[in-house]
Amino acid sequence: MTEPALRTENLTKRFGGLTAVNKLNLSIPCGRPHAVIGPNGAGKTTFFNLVSGLLTADSGRVFFEGRDITGLKPHEVSRLGIKRTMQIKSVFPQLSVADNLWVTRHAANRILHPFRAASHDPETRERVELTLEQIGLPALAHRPAGTLSYGDVALLEIGMALISDPKLLLLDEPTCGMSPAETERAVAKIKQLARTIDIVIIEHDMSVVFEIADDITVMTQGEILASGSPDEISGDERVREAYLGRPDDEDYVEEAIHA
Amino acid sequence: MMTPNVIERAMLIAFGAFLVAVPWLIPVLLNKFWVSLIAEIMIWSLFAASVNLLFGYVGLLSFGQALYFGFGMYGVAIGVATLGLSFWPAFGLGIVASVMIALVSGIFAVRLTWHYFAIITVVFSLIFYFFAVSVKPLTGGDDGINFSLPPTFSFGGVTGSFSDASFQYFFILATVSLCFFLMHRVIRSPLGKAFVAIRDNDVRAALIGLNVYQLRLIAFVMAGFLAGVSGALFAFFGRYASASYMYYHVSGEAVVWAIVGGAGTLFGPIVGTTFFIVIRELVSTHWEHHALIVGVMAILVVILAPKGLVGLWNDAFISWRARAKAASTNTTLQTEP
Repeated sequence: MTEPALRTENLTKRFGGLTAVNKLNLSIPCGRPHAVIGPNGAGKTTFFNLVSGLLTADSGRVFFEGRDITGLKPHEVSRLGIKRTMQIKSVFPQLSVADNLWVTRHAANRILHPFRAASHDPETRERVELTLEQIGLPALAHRPAGTLSYGDVALLEIGMALISDPKLLLLDEPTCGMSPAETERAVAKIKQLARTIDIVIIEHDMSVVFEIADDITVMTQGEILASGSPDEISGDERVREAYLGRPDDEDYVEEAIHA
Repeated sequence: MMTPNVIERAMLIAFGAFLVAVPWLIPVLLNKFWVSLIAEIMIWSLFAASVNLLFGYVGLLSFGQALYFGFGMYGVAIGVATLGLSFWPAFGLGIVASVMIALVSGIFAVRLTWHYFAIITVVFSLIFYFFAVSVKPLTGGDDGINFSLPPTFSFGGVTGSFSDASFQYFFILATVSLCFFLMHRVIRSPLGKAFVAIRDNDVRAALIGLNVYQLRLIAFVMAGFLAGVSGALFAFFGRYASASYMYYHVSGEAVVWAIVGGAGTLFGPIVGTTFFIVIRELVSTHWEHHALIVGVMAILVVILAPKGLVGLWNDAFISWRARAKAASTNTTLQTEP
């Protein structure tokens, strides 16, 4: 059996008295897009922060393709091929859209050339143009990223994840704030990516989750409530109660599952 | 047609031509004093550029750049007066000393950002200021070190020395131009883009794989180099070094020059430094409270033009360029049948 793409062992993070992630044991196999869902405050984003190195775990370990990455710094995690997008959209606002992609592509290089003009780099420029096409933003290439609409920033974030050739992509609510048309485009893009890249997605939009994920993990209060295929999860009573709503809230459940 | 790009290039050439012509032009128009004042402005512009590299491009506001300026000065003065070095080794000693101290203090300082970074840079410069004042045998304390100039080079029968005012001017012009050219290259390089990325969003920069700490340290050492070169030049220019140039009000002035001129622009520090030094020279002979004008101007610019004077200019140029482009599109549309 091959090593899982991402595995955690008793991963724990406390903020003061609050245990945000509590002894999380999760194994995400390669080649199966995985969704992490759960109510607000369930510890989903904290889990991402622990994996990507933005937070240090109080105890427990994280393994990426069998390699222990616990305690690595964010740039070290990133250089191993784990890329992520942020829940609160996070790009370089004063750089142009093209430069956002450009600097992301170059960040993987250990040595950044101090004197060669950045514009004289046809290989990277072509890749930037290709990525702009892929995310559908070539018209906005020279706009400062800070002036884009929320949906376009989200697309740019996906582009930045794309251009860095990740092995494992952590998407934190990628379609949040997008229009229905943008969501459709983003979902198609993510599904296409999922064929070659391992993807873990945090998402509140159930239609997106069921569209993309092969496996779903439901978290509440820092712990795994249930884990399984989309069918198993949507049929699980505990999940319905804890996350999708109480039985008397049938409309919401129906809407969430069939949206 | 006079397009904005052509005009901007023409202005750059005119500016360069003016700087080259200064030793002949200025004595005729004004007097010789202004030639050395322009040389001094160039040195201080380079010093302001070191603040600008950190604040404008990496987002670190240093109030302690005078420390590296001071090490450049003392490196030269101690090199010449105490160690008996000739011009180039003393120049090198000044630069190496400031780069080394920038590396050592940077290792601690760039762990911090924002006001913590500003405070630690002030603290470092104060420590070394009081150190320089107290070690009188080495530094001359408040009196400083006076030294007599070694010749810059002698080649056959030709000798170049700072005692020749024109030679001094051109040496400073060449050195400062070279430093600004290097900075221009760095800004446009992959390294420079990584700097700006860190300034814009350091968390995101780390997540895309940039080693934020290491890059900030590189920028800090580069800024130390620029400050060191300007300090070394100023030592040769003034033929002395003094601890008073390591005091934090010198650092603070450079911060004002860089921000008013336009942080994050190559020419901002030159514009800001020129602006304030010329005001000081014009007003200080008539009115002793010239610092008031500086303060009021600084406040006005920060409120009305947050990107500084060069930022104002750039914004005007960008909108002009957009209008010129729109106009040319209209003409092509009209010419089509």
